[in-house]
Amino acid sequence: MLANGDAIARLRRLLAAAREVAKDALLVPRLIESTGLSRQGVELGLARYLEHDATDDEVAALVRGVMPATSVHVILSANVFTAPLRALAVACAASSRVSVHPSRRDPVLTCALVENASDLGLVLTDATDVRAIESGEIHVYGRDETVLAVKGAAHADVRVRGHGAGMGVALVDANVAVEMAAHAIADDVVAFDQRGCCSPRVVFALGGRAKELAEALSRRLRAMEERVPRGKLDESERRESVRYRETMAFAGEVLEGAAHAVGVSRQGSTCLVPPVGRHVHVVPVASVEDARAWLRPIERFVVLVGCSDERLGRELALASHVRLSPLGRMQRLPFDGPVDLR
Amino acid sequence: MVWDATESDALHERARGFVRAFEAGAPMPESFDALATDLARFQAAHVAGYARLCAAREADPSLFRSAIDAPAVPTEAFKVSRVAAFPQPLTMATFRTSGTTLGARGTHELRRPSTYGRAALAFGQWALMQGVSPLPNTSPVLMLAPSPKELPDSSLTHMMQLFAQTFGASPRGENDYFIRDGVLELAELDARVAEALVAKTPILLLGTSFAFVHLLDAVEDAGFRLPQGSRVMQTGGFKGKSREVDATELRKELSRALGVEPHAIVSEYGMTELSSQFYEGTLQSESLPMGVYVEPPWARVVPVHPETLAPVADGEEGIARIEDLMNVDSAFAVLAADRVRRVPGGFDLLGRWPGAAPRGCSIAVDEILGAGLAEA
Repeated sequence: MLANGDAIARLRRLLAAAREVAKDALLVPRLIESTGLSRQGVELGLARYLEHDATDDEVAALVRGVMPATSVHVILSANVFTAPLRALAVACAASSRVSVHPSRRDPVLTCALVENASDLGLVLTDATDVRAIESGEIHVYGRDETVLAVKGAAHADVRVRGHGAGMGVALVDANVAVEMAAHAIADDVVAFDQRGCCSPRVVFALGGRAKELAEALSRRLRAMEERVPRGKLDESERRESVRYRETMAFAGEVLEGAAHAVGVSRQGSTCLVPPVGRHVHVVPVASVEDARAWLRPIERFVVLVGCSDERLGRELALASHVRLSPLGRMQRLPFDGPVDLR
Repeated sequence: MVWDATESDALHERARGFVRAFEAGAPMPESFDALATDLARFQAAHVAGYARLCAAREADPSLFRSAIDAPAVPTEAFKVSRVAAFPQPLTMATFRTSGTTLGARGTHELRRPSTYGRAALAFGQWALMQGVSPLPNTSPVLMLAPSPKELPDSSLTHMMQLFAQTFGASPRGENDYFIRDGVLELAELDARVAEALVAKTPILLLGTSFAFVHLLDAVEDAGFRLPQGSRVMQTGGFKGKSREVDATELRKELSRALGVEPHAIVSEYGMTELSSQFYEGTLQSESLPMGVYVEPPWARVVPVHPETLAPVADGEEGIARIEDLMNVDSAFAVLAADRVRRVPGGFDLLGRWPGAAPRGCSIAVDEILGAGLAEA
């Protein structure tokens, strides 16, 4: 168990380690390989979205928000490559004894952080049998089936905190300049090629400007492709991309670039979620209530609502666990606890 | 373009010409491509979404020379958009897919369901009813499925009802269906089978794969013998509604439990978005192997590359692009989500593409849909 001051100091050391990691050019090729992102995508992630510059207030809030535990075992199964910093911070704030099992597919940043932190209470482990953990907590970050499997296998005395997969949605109200909104949303989409649970996949457009917004967003995504090219999509992502494009070409309109697609649905359309990899589904709505109705079948997957108007954002966020963020900062949430509060 | 039923009716007649020729054992009245391209032009003129799809793919319907020139409509489009050439008040039958998390159900509206019925009966008779005396019309047709009253918008239930009314002896309406409120009514089915055993009349038992699994689980090792000469048609997947059983294993288990020869257990492949069905041809010819689905002359299954949507070579896996001349007023070419492969005599159905483990924590489309299936 850690006193607040000790926990804050520990997190400060972890953030300092993250700053060093972000400067390590040798990591970039390995991250390109493990994440599938382009070089520029990895560099953008390290420079802009790895939260090594968290404020004192954020760190203090994070420490205040965690429940102390005798030990924490962190399982990182599926997450964007910068996410281990927040996961380790939450665990290190909760307990002096933290073990972490990195993602098999994407272990690079986790290993680098642990190595640079030089924290005797923070160790890597390759142990996979959660039944062997008899006390403390398990924090698992992964697909829903992974979270369920860990919960099912864990010892009865062990508390499992699961953080599953999710998605972000954005709302563009009638008072926001379309170009400005498009630029901000494109920033949120390009980060991690939309593979994060905060990434906006669906954008609701109020005020009869869906087409205008979609065109601006498509232009912006095309321009950003020059600066931050999309990385590799795997086979299933490419298949889903084709189906989404064909579906929207029939059911509405699709504005396509070499590395993005913006679908514009028709008013009153039913729920459709586009695949990851810079695909955005723009839905025209007459009111926030319409947007809520559209979202209802998938509300449990929504982690974050991005909106420039906090009041409207809160109206759209169907549950209290849904975080709110201004547009353009959906991938840079306050470093005050887990991203997924479900 | 203003709707005029005359053009649609003429296309229906041409489509039915294929069915009539098939039933008569005569040559087809025209080439598949001739009707297919006319259907594509008609649909591009009257289905706004199809016109948009053609425009997006720079496919000019006036230049279509063969069916493959026309873009296929993904099955997802039936969930988010109306796929119909005619005004909604003219809809005579509406079929819907089962639900998913996303809420939307694929909807297929028919203006002339009799075209669907003619085709379904003709090819169903070919696949299920011929070659085994004393059928047709002396034996009962029983369904391991909910009745049309319980599932009025299921195309499968509608097809089964057509089969029961046309092929079955003394159909008993609701009492020919043995899934009620999701429960297998084994005792009632047992009584009907007992009647047939006494009368020594074979039966045709139609059902979904998961219903047959429930039947197998219910009877366990005891078995559930059907009268000699009986046949079974099983269709569809499991959709989280029963344990999953490999197709070969299911056939083996059904053969053992029901006392039916393996070749008399015929798999059907169909979907709400189509008006035609595909069957294993095992009752027709011993040269047609199990697991190979046969098309009627009015439908084709073309495996296409999942990214380019271009046809792949025979023997290679691709996504099923299904060209169905009976889909006169909706989409003659449908892009299904199933993986298929051309083989001698027909096509193999290989299931859905295995999904790679997604990177990151963004929810995958499959996960969203999968959650729905598990809840269905």
